[in-house]
Amino acid sequence: MRRIERLLNLIIALLNTDRPYTAEEVRERIEGYGGEPNHEAFRRTFERDKEALRKMGIPIETVTTDVFSDVPDGYIIPKTKYYLPNLELEADELAALHLAAAAVLGSREPARTGLLKLSIGPDPSPSAGTRVLWSADVAAQQPLLAPLSAALMDRTPVSFRYKPATGPSGVREVEVYSLINRRGHWYVVGRDRNREALRSFKVARVEGEIGLLVGTYEIPADFRAEEKLPAQAWEVGPDEPSEAVLRFSQDLRWWAEQNLPAARSGDGPSGTLDVHLPVANLDALISWVLELGPQVEVVAPREARERLVEHLDAFLGSVAK
Amino acid sequence: MSEGRLSRRLARILSLLPYAIQNPGVTLDELAGRFDISKKELRADLDLVFMCGLPGYTPADLIEVDYEGDHVYIRAGDYFGTPLNLTPVEGLTLYAGASALTNLPELSQADALARALAKLGRALGISNEGSAIQVSVDSGSSEHLQLLQDAIADEKRVAIEYMSASRGELTERDVDPWSLIAALGHWYVVGLDHSSGEERMFRTDRMKSVVKLDEPAPLPTDFDPEKYRGAFIGSETGRRVVFEIAPPVADWFMDYYPVVSSQPAPGGWTRVELAIGGARWAATLLMKLGDQVRQVEPEEMRNAARELAQEIVERHREAAGTS
Repeated sequence: MRRIERLLNLIIALLNTDRPYTAEEVRERIEGYGGEPNHEAFRRTFERDKEALRKMGIPIETVTTDVFSDVPDGYIIPKTKYYLPNLELEADELAALHLAAAAVLGSREPARTGLLKLSIGPDPSPSAGTRVLWSADVAAQQPLLAPLSAALMDRTPVSFRYKPATGPSGVREVEVYSLINRRGHWYVVGRDRNREALRSFKVARVEGEIGLLVGTYEIPADFRAEEKLPAQAWEVGPDEPSEAVLRFSQDLRWWAEQNLPAARSGDGPSGTLDVHLPVANLDALISWVLELGPQVEVVAPREARERLVEHLDAFLGSVAK
Repeated sequence: MSEGRLSRRLARILSLLPYAIQNPGVTLDELAGRFDISKKELRADLDLVFMCGLPGYTPADLIEVDYEGDHVYIRAGDYFGTPLNLTPVEGLTLYAGASALTNLPELSQADALARALAKLGRALGISNEGSAIQVSVDSGSSEHLQLLQDAIADEKRVAIEYMSASRGELTERDVDPWSLIAALGHWYVVGLDHSSGEERMFRTDRMKSVVKLDEPAPLPTDFDPEKYRGAFIGSETGRRVVFEIAPPVADWFMDYYPVVSSQPAPGGWTRVELAIGGARWAATLLMKLGDQVRQVEPEEMRNAARELAQEIVERHREAAGTS
């Protein structure tokens, strides 16, 4: 018997039972396992099969069958965890998900297999053969996102090694409340167990693998992830919070008017536009001003002007050597 | 069969069975098309299923597969009436994709998308007011995006005023827009730029104006948005710049920029070769590194960065407000 048939038989048996199977029952009753010459060979095969199925997302649980023992010795696939809950998607909702699936670059396969599961009903919406107008490069295939999102969905606390922007790397124990892609980067927002506070972590700065901790947690009902992520890099940081004033030249003021509509602004001299922004990270502000180029002047705070000049003088000195 | 192929095949069977069971009499062609396999592969899957079932494995316990001409009838216990739950990756991918699309203003499917997101979120256990997995994209002017969507749908050319990142100045271009792509937190239009005759990417927030023209802008038949994945870090021009970076910068630099090669340099510094987009892009990057960069080659690149830095520094050396 081929392995794939044995795996299918294992799924059917463990799913269609109310009483867990012991390893011995698996060996005796499920087709494909009886042929193993000895217990050791069986055990290896069974371990390998469970591992493969769990990797596919099939929830094989280990439970205790003997009330007088604490040793988990039974195996079952709980129906509540295996089956896709009925989402009761309307036809237009399914069509919208087709659009979304077509949009995600680099992840066609999981998007396609996910959609197939969702469109199983007797009256399936025709698959979207329409023109793809939009796509999104959201790096959904970032390898750490899968374990992080699984932890979020199951409410399992995680631990990982993290290298902050400044300072040495260290281990963090985190209850994941949210995963957010902001300006092209993924962030974990959640409760840092050691600091007992909400923190955000850039996924790109996580080193190594995601470890799973024992236990579970709840996400507070009033949690709002957006509030925990600074809107812009220069808004949060080591410097005294103050107000920056950026002066956009006449030629570039359209950009500020178009892209910073929420900021307070007013006309400056000679057709310029002065835009007021909250700032707490002068280095981040300077970095942004350098990207905007010579058509933008930092009017305030004074310290930002001075640091900008210092930084560029240092650059000019270094490349002149 | 490799582990990967085996699990893909098994996963397919676990979706195929509930579909065939819920749609008795479905044709082999439809099943094969739906699951993107050949009819031969489908027959192999069904032959395999036919051998499996509940312990006991009497004819009554095995899954039944009957054919009537091209039609398939599958009978099994209730256990395969519903598909396997979404895997975290499937859930994340669909949810993140849908979340990215909600950033489009005036999307005609916005309402359906929001409802689908809410239902999907509930099933995945992330129904936290829609914020548990979220992709945000700065859209710039929503009017521009709307016009661009219309132009792409109607296959019409657009005229844009564009602030070029590589040159740092406003340019006028006629573009055949092919698709909108969200990447690195921005929307980009990819298409044919008539001023250069080349395929280009334009950030929508850098467009000062967008006008839909009455010229046809046909989509190339081989257009594939997948080609643009990861292409937004800096448009590839084939140009290179070489420089040395200080030890603290070297720690993170390779993760963020398209480094072609690197080697040790004196004093613990690292010599890197970088693929660059425009000259302006490279000059900005060099300036940002301050005194953590040295030995910039070629000379024209070094001079471009110095001139840009000098221009900015001049402006700020004067007393504030006198410019």
